[in-house]
Amino acid sequence: MARVELNLSLNRVEGDLEIAVVLEDGVVAEARTVGTLYRGFEQIMLGRAPRDSLVITPRVCGICGTAHLYSAVLALEQIWQVPVPPNAVRIRNLCLIAEGIQNDLRQTFLFFAPDFCNPRYRDQAWFAELTERFEPFRGSIYRQTLAQSRKAVEVVAQFGGQWPHSSYMLPGGVTIPPDLRRILACRAVLDDIQHWYEQVIVGAPLDEWLALDSADAYFEWLETPAHADSALGLLSRCARSLGLHGMAAGTRHMLSFGAWCDPQQASGRLLPGGFYDGDSATLSPFDQQLVNEHVRHSWFRPYPGGRHPLNGETVPDFQPNSDRYTWAKAPRYGDKAVQTGPLAELLIGGDALIRSLHAAEGGNAWLRQFARVRRIAYELAGARRMLEELAADIGQPHILNPAKSAEIDGEGFGLIMAARGALGHWLKIEDGVIAQYQIVTPTAWNASPRDSNGLPGHWEQSLVGVAVQDPDDPIEIGHIIRSHDPCLVCTVHMLDSGKKLRFAP
Amino acid sequence: MMRHILCFGNPLHGDDGFGPAVYQRLSQLPLAADVRLFDAGTPGLAALALFRDCAEVVVVDALAPAGHPGRLLELAAEAIPLESAAAGHGHGVGYLLAALAVMPEPAPTVRIVGVEAAAVEPFRPGLSAPVAAAVERAVALLSVYFAPQHHE
Repeated sequence: MARVELNLSLNRVEGDLEIAVVLEDGVVAEARTVGTLYRGFEQIMLGRAPRDSLVITPRVCGICGTAHLYSAVLALEQIWQVPVPPNAVRIRNLCLIAEGIQNDLRQTFLFFAPDFCNPRYRDQAWFAELTERFEPFRGSIYRQTLAQSRKAVEVVAQFGGQWPHSSYMLPGGVTIPPDLRRILACRAVLDDIQHWYEQVIVGAPLDEWLALDSADAYFEWLETPAHADSALGLLSRCARSLGLHGMAAGTRHMLSFGAWCDPQQASGRLLPGGFYDGDSATLSPFDQQLVNEHVRHSWFRPYPGGRHPLNGETVPDFQPNSDRYTWAKAPRYGDKAVQTGPLAELLIGGDALIRSLHAAEGGNAWLRQFARVRRIAYELAGARRMLEELAADIGQPHILNPAKSAEIDGEGFGLIMAARGALGHWLKIEDGVIAQYQIVTPTAWNASPRDSNGLPGHWEQSLVGVAVQDPDDPIEIGHIIRSHDPCLVCTVHMLDSGKKLRFAP
Repeated sequence: MMRHILCFGNPLHGDDGFGPAVYQRLSQLPLAADVRLFDAGTPGLAALALFRDCAEVVVVDALAPAGHPGRLLELAAEAIPLESAAAGHGHGVGYLLAALAVMPEPAPTVRIVGVEAAAVEPFRPGLSAPVAAAVERAVALLSVYFAPQHHE
């Protein structure tokens, strides 16, 4: 038996992520995801004024800063028991949706789809068509996605002044009221994206596409030119012809905190959350008490077992030459490794088509990507609803500033569905300053290392059993990892001067 | 139409802090009324917004080491190749310029002022001596963007 160890620096993914796999006779026998960057926000927050979290934590990520801001403000509002007016919730949701659309478009059409332009696929029936649409900078969809995704975040700029890293949510509301000019500007942006999504991405009006409710109906529709020739139809045909619908399920357990707060009742969610137990195929309400994080295989100061975030710690302790291998912790729900993201969000939230496809074929790499494109329809419909409600209620307050005396000590959490899945901030305030801050990101769930019991995380599980044709160009692993929408953080930034600037002395 | 000066880079990573250092100096000087100065950081595709609503963009950034640390170069946008890491959140300026070229509206004129780095060292703040010395030369090169009375 040939046993080969590969360390893959997935440079199309990012510099902060490496995947180490062991191949046995060309098949992945085990996998480790290595987060190579210490984030450190938990330590940065200690001893600071509670409201600092609204400025600092949106900088965790350049893609989902709105989600971090939203989680941070929800946690403060829970501790201080601050009511939030419906218009503030609508504006927050609208901005979170815009950020999500930006991510879902870029992830699908700039990161995931271009992998199929690999020369290895040149004999596939779809290759020419696919390259014409998805080749970087040349493909029609690739180019259109660059323009459309840039437009989406203008919605955040309307209310947040900038994107990313904006700080326009405050305990009790948002900083800018809705006015007709802003509502119309957002409407114009979203109308444009929706028109493009209907015409080019799915090939059907939004309502018709959302009404599609079974796997059989979808596969039938995939045979019609309207959808088969759309961007999603083409992607589905090509991913399925490569067998991506039969691989890389990962853990069967899924987690969603529920998408978008209900403006009428901030603790409710417009799309319900919960925990999907993949062993029994049952849904149960989410219980945040069950969240715990392990560090047995991570470069943090050791502690036994798992800890709930309110009792957690994130103290760096680099231990090379040990069996520890990542800067990511291992979050668990009870003792279960779970996955989160659009697939979990729509399956738990009740989308009939995703539930039917999942029941028919189980979790898989194609379905994860498909769910991400499907979610854009929910995002567009949700954004429209928020804008209509804002227009109808335009004179209502956008913030109810809490009295200074409300800013008491205590502990709480803010849970939100970010573009990549379930995001939570947990904090404790003591003597008026932050005494504890723990952030559990979607990628922490998905890219989790092994826990104290040796149980691998979701990505690690999803890679086991995958056949790699060419270890020098393991594009199968690239498809799978990118179907998870790996989060990446910009670290070193350089102009690559390439050969053109190499002057001989 | 406005003119934008975009200073890219991360001051935590050695000579990658060249752009931010030029920004610091320029922000102390009176710029012409039609010039907007940005500390652009390492924003990936989000920086596309900074290329809008202007006629001209000056990109200030560090260049990969090539044997002459501190050498200041003025380049055309076409001279910057696509980074080998062509996608991801870590999009560099090469990717950004390629994206700019496929935007539906006409792109502004892009000038690039780059300094050759001695080394980019992760999490080691501070510029190398040759790159630090290039900051003032870069500022002098950009004096055409100063307010008229300061234009020598």
